[in-house]
Amino acid sequence: MRALKPGLVRAVVGAAIGAVIGAGSLILAGIVGMEITDGEILGLGYLLALIGFLFGIGAFRFWLTWAVGREVNIEEEHAAHGTAGDWRRYFLFTTDHKVIGVQYLATAFTLFLVAGSAAMLMRFELAQPGLVLGKEAYNEIFSTHGAMMITVALISIVGGLGNYLVPIMIGARDMAFPKTNALSYWLLPLPILLVAINPLLGGFDSGWTAYPPLSQQANLGQQAYLLAFVTVGVASILSAINFLVTVFRMRASGMSLMRMPIFVWALTVTSVLGLVATSVVAGAFTMLLFDRVLGTSFFRASRGGDVILFQHLFWFYSHPAVYIMGLPGLGAILEIVPVFARKPLFAYPLAVLSFISIGVLSFMVWAHHMFVSGMATFFHIPIMFTTELISVPTGIVFLSALGTIWMGRLHFKVPMLWVFGFIWAFLIGGITGVFLADVPTDLTLHDTYFVVAHFHYTIVGGAIFGLFAGTYYWFPKITGRMYSERLGKLHFWWFTLAFNATFLPMFWLGIEGMRRRVADYPPQLGGVNLWVSFAAFNIFLSVAVFVFNIVRSWRRGPQAEANPWRAQTLEWQTASPPPIQNFDHIPTVSSGPYEYGGGLGVPAEGRATP
Amino acid sequence: MTPPRRHLWIAAAIWAVLSIVGAVLVAGIQIIPVIASREAGIENSAFVLLAVLSVPVLMFVVVGLAYSAIWFRANGDEADGPPIHGHRGFQAAWLGISFALVIGLFAYGAAGLVDIRGAQTADFEVQVSAEQWAWHFTYPSTGATSKELHIPVGQRVHIVINSDDVIHSFWVPAFGIKQDAVPGRTTEIYVTATVAGTYPGLCAELCGFGHTNMRFTTVVSNRAALKAWLRKQKPGSEGSQPPPSGSESAS
Repeated sequence: MRALKPGLVRAVVGAAIGAVIGAGSLILAGIVGMEITDGEILGLGYLLALIGFLFGIGAFRFWLTWAVGREVNIEEEHAAHGTAGDWRRYFLFTTDHKVIGVQYLATAFTLFLVAGSAAMLMRFELAQPGLVLGKEAYNEIFSTHGAMMITVALISIVGGLGNYLVPIMIGARDMAFPKTNALSYWLLPLPILLVAINPLLGGFDSGWTAYPPLSQQANLGQQAYLLAFVTVGVASILSAINFLVTVFRMRASGMSLMRMPIFVWALTVTSVLGLVATSVVAGAFTMLLFDRVLGTSFFRASRGGDVILFQHLFWFYSHPAVYIMGLPGLGAILEIVPVFARKPLFAYPLAVLSFISIGVLSFMVWAHHMFVSGMATFFHIPIMFTTELISVPTGIVFLSALGTIWMGRLHFKVPMLWVFGFIWAFLIGGITGVFLADVPTDLTLHDTYFVVAHFHYTIVGGAIFGLFAGTYYWFPKITGRMYSERLGKLHFWWFTLAFNATFLPMFWLGIEGMRRRVADYPPQLGGVNLWVSFAAFNIFLSVAVFVFNIVRSWRRGPQAEANPWRAQTLEWQTASPPPIQNFDHIPTVSSGPYEYGGGLGVPAEGRATP
Repeated sequence: MTPPRRHLWIAAAIWAVLSIVGAVLVAGIQIIPVIASREAGIENSAFVLLAVLSVPVLMFVVVGLAYSAIWFRANGDEADGPPIHGHRGFQAAWLGISFALVIGLFAYGAAGLVDIRGAQTADFEVQVSAEQWAWHFTYPSTGATSKELHIPVGQRVHIVINSDDVIHSFWVPAFGIKQDAVPGRTTEIYVTATVAGTYPGLCAELCGFGHTNMRFTTVVSNRAALKAWLRKQKPGSEGSQPPPSGSESAS
């Protein structure tokens, strides 16, 4: 009866049953003569499949037991926490935050490879003027690339490193709501799969922004994307609540807010953004779904709807979302700098304040995506101001990083290399952002490759460089083994050079007038595009080095010590990997997180008194 | 060992030299490749100014990183660095300069925007209608229609934009203007072309698979040539519409 235990097998069966009931009943209704659209079949089929999947994986069983008033089987609940060293727990509804963190990381990196492959197809089409794959295929590929990479940037650091590390860094045994935590992970596989198979449903060609009316006339694949996006949104909201309660209620004694590691602060602000903003876009996408499936007219101009309204709602989330992607990366970077510079984090209170200010301001800048959309002219002025203003708190991140590095004792281990790469990339992203914030220059740059280059420098620079830095830095903690320093350095240099060789020329292409989201371009841009494609393929190859390094080191890398970096934050004061309950004894915290150089603090070993 | 202040002075000197050299190099460049309108001229000036200002910012971080990477290596030394948690004066100066830059940039940008938008008056009007995937231009003064955009040189042109299906974006790179065509709304933009000639125009907003090839040609000519061309155009099938009132007076 093993197969009938909650697990992946039962989840797949549950999903299939749900899909059959949902889609089947509507198909039957269609056969008996009711007017049923493909959209309705997909919608109900997906919804019931998702519920079936969650039931099958066991997401609701403890809550249901409790709801019907039965005694919860303590042994079973304990088992749901997983057994150390058992690989099967990564494929189960496991409530241990460390397992969930690894699940998120593995999912994110897998998705990163798939979306990266889509990017390779794009660069294949763009390598020469003329068409190879064709315009329709190109539009569908870049839409899928965008949708997946956004998901990677949203979930990788928050869901992966955040889940794994935040409870340990504040001295807690788990997240506040372990079952909700597992639920928010297990909400993801089905929508991700749905986006991955959207070409079977006709693909979607309106980009990840899904502006109506284009998205209203697009194929069924478009609807798959909308359904998936809303589901991922629900998962984000659940995880945001979980982080906030964890951080505010479960800190070890002595861990005052201003003693929290900066990474925890970044995740806290990120969670506030996720909690507040995500519901807006989920609402907008639901309205768009209703327009497609139920015949409403929220965004149908011909029937009194407003297409610009969608853009306001969309960007009201999606600009804060840029910081949901970026802030965790900034936090990871600032977490790593002091350790490898052997100095306290420079201007820590100001950095905390800057994260909070970024969070607040990020809600007031959304309309800079709409400078040429036809919104009211006067609105350009305040939005230009707030957009430029947000560069002040963002600049403080550079102040903290540079101030820490200056006069430090720098150890150029792989994580520190990624820190330097991050600072360069994020700096280019920040500076070029000013050109897009300024309305006069944006009028010419809007919707060109300048924008493409800019947001890759900010999001790859912020989220992906931060993700790589963090993955290398915490790899010994998570796996108990050390990665290969040589392969790590190869990955860093190859990736960073290829990344810059890919995206720096795109600024020039944009200035020369190459538009975003086109499959073809004037012949005189052919040379540079060929170079860009060549460089982009190198990015992909360099990631293969990373994957090889991680897989091999996890299986048979040298054993890592508990604290190989001589770091002072709590996660390094427990074993590598940490025991199921994280600490043998919950530590008491007696000083700030970065008391390097003696100073006021105490030596690392004595810091966290058991 | 070099004293901390010496490091600061050396790095500052390198930064100053690189910033000045970089700024001088950037200041001479025309960034927008083709400038054929008053608006594109304003944008190019803004572009150059922002580029000049970004040089010292870029150099500050780059010099800081490079200098540290060379001089502050641990080289196997396990000791910690100095326990510096911050520096009030430096932090205050950083914030002060950041705020000053932001306010300056904002004032300059707002002035540029007002300058580009200008007064709501024009010497000539064109109605643009976008559809998947073609552009149509109507000249209310004569009721003529065309697939190419023809406008006079040296005169302020009012461009009124509509779309019937999805969002498109009207863009003539040489004019530096871009405006979405939005179903259910009428959008508008003004431009004063300064150089006669023929320029490509494009759709800048993703509008389906024909987006890539949704182009048009813009012809800027003197008033007499434009009049002659307009006379040759047949009024469109919908040309029964009366010449609109308003700004259209000069012809």
